[in-house]
Amino acid sequence: MSYKFYKDNREFIKALDSYGELVTIQKEVDWDLEMGAIVRRVCEKKAPAPYFKRIRDYPNFEALGAPLATYSRLAIAMGMDPKARVPEICDEYVRRTSGRPIQPILVDRGKAPCKENILTGKDADLFKLPGPMVHDGDGGRYLATWHFIVAKDPNTGAINWGMYRQMVFDEKTMVGPVLPFSDMGKMFYGKYVPKNKPMPFATVIGCDPLSGVAACAPSPIPEDQFTGMLMGAPVELVKCETCDLEVPAHAEIIIEGEVVPNVWIEEAPFGEYTGYRTSPREPRTVYRIKAITYRNNPILTVSNMGVPTDEGQLLRSFSLGLEMRRLLESQGIPITGVFMWPESTHHLVVVGTKVAYSGIATQIANLIFGSKLSPWFHMVIVVDDETDIYNKDDVIHALATKCHPIRGIRKYEHAVGTPLYPFAEPEDRIWSRGAQVLFDCTFPLHWSKSDLPIKVSFNNVYPKEIQERVIKNWKEYGFKE
Amino acid sequence: MKEYDTFVLSDPETLIEDQEIELILRDLTPTDRRYKYRGFYAKALLSRSETKYPDRLWIRLGRGQLQEKPWSIKILKEMNKFTE
Repeated sequence: MSYKFYKDNREFIKALDSYGELVTIQKEVDWDLEMGAIVRRVCEKKAPAPYFKRIRDYPNFEALGAPLATYSRLAIAMGMDPKARVPEICDEYVRRTSGRPIQPILVDRGKAPCKENILTGKDADLFKLPGPMVHDGDGGRYLATWHFIVAKDPNTGAINWGMYRQMVFDEKTMVGPVLPFSDMGKMFYGKYVPKNKPMPFATVIGCDPLSGVAACAPSPIPEDQFTGMLMGAPVELVKCETCDLEVPAHAEIIIEGEVVPNVWIEEAPFGEYTGYRTSPREPRTVYRIKAITYRNNPILTVSNMGVPTDEGQLLRSFSLGLEMRRLLESQGIPITGVFMWPESTHHLVVVGTKVAYSGIATQIANLIFGSKLSPWFHMVIVVDDETDIYNKDDVIHALATKCHPIRGIRKYEHAVGTPLYPFAEPEDRIWSRGAQVLFDCTFPLHWSKSDLPIKVSFNNVYPKEIQERVIKNWKEYGFKE
Repeated sequence: MKEYDTFVLSDPETLIEDQEIELILRDLTPTDRRYKYRGFYAKALLSRSETKYPDRLWIRLGRGQLQEKPWSIKILKEMNKFTE
């Protein structure tokens, strides 16, 4: 069954506009910091997405900023009511992606708008694209901030779509971090580099919104099939010009080339998803380009990582949390839900559980920290089922009152980390070393019932008929809401 | 006069003056503005003096912090790391 979805960025822009989630900017903006500053302010104010119609020096290009930086825009992307509550969006996402994968279909080049313009050879020049200087002090212009890279496993043929930032170095070269524990890192450093073979890649910029959501998702299902599950219909792909990879036919811009083994060029610094410029400028993975294809009047998508909330934080928190939910449910752990607030920059996993047996919080943390996704977060909070995991006030209250400062906190040393953790020692950043911590916010089961503190809340300490009477008469008492 | 910048990953005090060194530069004043921030490897002479060499060089630290006083630079040779 097909769900309501937008087959390209342009249909999505129209939908955002119709729901009041878009501001169309006719005034010319500069790609050199001004566009980035607007997107940053939009993220910090949770304002509608800016649609830039005129970019200095690039008369035929447009740009869309912060396309999915709010839950409303995510709901719209999924064809849902923009006012849908976060748990509803979570449940819908899990429902759609729990069925059978939907294979993509291949379309002819003539039906692929991304082939409307093709640049190869000397014409394939990265400076012909309006890569923004996103933040002052960045190491370069980041053409790829809301995008994904397509790569293929040379042994299994498995496809990976992943978001790996790319900085323009020169006309033909991009550079960016590919961490060794990431899917593409395992593929490139594990299978191509030992044979000294370049790895073909295709960078997809300005894709339909659900392909972007899928590229952020840490699911074991290949992202092209995962996109189909979110759409309820196959995603349409087309063959690349210079390699045997396939890319979404309706994307705005495609950059094709090869990731080069055993060559490194300095990349960064960059304003990162943690809200800091943390990882230093250092030698990183090199991409050499062979072709650029794009739609007429292409629309670049621009994300601006920084203090919350941008789409990287929002979508990564959303999908990482739900993947942890899937993991815990698959093990039969009696959880009530898993949620990661975007404001935690996906460092903090909140798990709600029925405290069915002693040690359940440790079991939950061991499973979560033992997963391959654990380098991306380092804190787990386990709360009981009287705590609303989606309500920040409720969780902070539980953390401050139920977590014993000694026995409620368990530290995990010698974990995998990332160079992007602002708190990490410089040496730990180099070697991707981390540490993790569990905050157990459940009361011990062995406490007698009479010893258990009772939560004093309107819903908990008044008889139902009193609650109903108070709610019914609320306005009569003189309150507005 | 052209302007460039470079990132110094350690202490800027360790930058060697008046000797040919290899470094990565970004072009801040290209003829075609679309090429601003283009990176390239170069062999060059540097000086803490703003006027000793023909072009201006701005120094940034590893996390992008711009240093207040520019240096001067003479580019001897642009180097291509890739052979097509």
